[in-house]
Amino acid sequence: MILRPRSGHGFLLRLVICLLICLAAPAARPVAAPAQPEELLIGIEPEHNIFDQMERYRYLAGYLSQQLGVQVKLTIMSRYGEVIKRFRSLKLDGAFLTSYTATMGIDELKLEPVVNPVNLNGESSSQGYIFVRKDSGIRNVNDMRGKSIVFVDPATMEGYLFPLAYLQQHGVTDMNGFFNRFYFSGSHVSAIFAVLDGRADIGAAKNTVFNRLVGNDPSIGQELAIIAQSPKAPEITLCIRQEIDPDLRARLAAVLLQMDKTAEGRKVLQQFNAIRFVKSSRADFGGIEAMEEQARAAIAEHVK
Amino acid sequence: MNTLRLVQRILLTLLFVLALAPDLQAQKRIGVIMTGDVPYYGAMHDAFVAELNRRIAGEEKIEIILQRPFPDPIAWSNAARKLIAFDVDLIVTYGSPATLAVIHEKTRIPLVYAGLYEPDQAEMSGENVTGCGFKVPLSSIVRYFKRLKTVNTLGIVCSSIEEDSMRQYATMKEIAEQHNMKAEKIDIRGRADLDGLKTKKTDAVFITGSSLAHLWLADIMEILRREKIPTADIFPDFAEAGVLMTLFPPPQQQGQLAAEMAAQILLGKKPVNIMAYTFRDTELVFNLVEARHFGIIFPIELLIEATKVIE
Repeated sequence: MILRPRSGHGFLLRLVICLLICLAAPAARPVAAPAQPEELLIGIEPEHNIFDQMERYRYLAGYLSQQLGVQVKLTIMSRYGEVIKRFRSLKLDGAFLTSYTATMGIDELKLEPVVNPVNLNGESSSQGYIFVRKDSGIRNVNDMRGKSIVFVDPATMEGYLFPLAYLQQHGVTDMNGFFNRFYFSGSHVSAIFAVLDGRADIGAAKNTVFNRLVGNDPSIGQELAIIAQSPKAPEITLCIRQEIDPDLRARLAAVLLQMDKTAEGRKVLQQFNAIRFVKSSRADFGGIEAMEEQARAAIAEHVK
Repeated sequence: MNTLRLVQRILLTLLFVLALAPDLQAQKRIGVIMTGDVPYYGAMHDAFVAELNRRIAGEEKIEIILQRPFPDPIAWSNAARKLIAFDVDLIVTYGSPATLAVIHEKTRIPLVYAGLYEPDQAEMSGENVTGCGFKVPLSSIVRYFKRLKTVNTLGIVCSSIEEDSMRQYATMKEIAEQHNMKAEKIDIRGRADLDGLKTKKTDAVFITGSSLAHLWLADIMEILRREKIPTADIFPDFAEAGVLMTLFPPPQQQGQLAAEMAAQILLGKKPVNIMAYTFRDTELVFNLVEARHFGIIFPIELLIEATKVIE
């Protein structure tokens, strides 16, 4: 057997072909498009009764899983104020957020607002109320000096941001000195009951919760007086991470926006206590940003 | 010898005077009427004494003459008359009946009241009268009862010899009727009236701030617990006698404000120039031990409303 030396020309040609094949292989994969996840993990801000709340959202998650072909899982975020932290630590893909936390999420996490549910009264927005007992003698901000006030949570527009902005607007710059006492009740219902019972003189809470309680027990409306109302803002918004596949995001929005068109969708909506979903956009949160700006000094002073 | 007798007489006279006036150094005397042994008024009085000592310690020597009349119109009147006869510098009263008894005597001695239910409704005005009281939204008690069990008939323990208790009865009756409940009056004027608790069929009972009812609270609770009837009270259940829920104004702040008012008056300020005050702060206490006894389960969203839970 005679070993002949390889032709240098042919070897080089084969090497170039091999290199081209190797380079061509990764280029065939879509580099920019994110992979569609196998599941979507959606966070929920806790309400007064998280058991009822989970039940309502469970039907919606099941419907979305079926329609999207992607497992939609839910998780309750421990409390309002931890939304941003939890969003990161739980590696959430999205969350149903109240207006102030949605604004924070859009700002800090670059979340995309997708849809808002429209409640059974035909409203997709809510507003903050500042209220007192009618027999308290408190009619305006001047009468509030030296009294006690109950907020809901520092991450709520209706239960914190709005009252701070309102008080700031009416010349109350030193919250700690102006009120005898303030505290956070943790829920809108608790803030309302605290004022009803006399555990606080002034309260702030969401109008939808306030109106629901009054609807169930008209005597509550007879005993409380609303002193101020905030502008309206989206009550709950589904916000999604920008990194989620745009196609999936679009399909998610489409499924939610079309829900009221099918019998099955309407049934799920009913269990969710909504009549339909409507499209949401960043512009919906302009009012909250303005309110935040107005209350900035008060927030800084308050947390001292 | 005569000189010795004279010295002896002088010494005896001095001893006699000292015995009659136990505290000659006392520059100011405050008469206090605290009905019975109601723990709520007791806590208020403790806060009053502590705050008064803090405010005028070293400036004035204060003697406090405490009257604890049994809840009865004659006893209240006698207590008021005794303090007027002592010619005290100031009278302090806890609760409406004691306050009204002093006002009825038309004395010029300044009066500071505390622990009065809705004082603006009680006509406690007068040049020499000021003080502080409280307001408790009784409707909240009805609401909490409704969230715990079906209440068709609400028993209201009151005492027709006590003005504030009767005002609370009237208010609670009206609220109960607004909530489609029948209000059943249980009037306690004497111990024999406790039997009314056994005969009246009620689903829940509200105890007004009656001194008589609170004097016999343990007996009342024994009957109601046996009948498995849950109760709510406008006064705290310090002894944990078995009240399911209490919604009450903290007694300490009323005692402290009464002391502040008393100190101002003793230092020369006129009562008419001291604004009366109504406290509206309340504390809500749920007794879960009693709830278990009554087979009542407090929902979590209700429990979080409480300022204190007894477990």
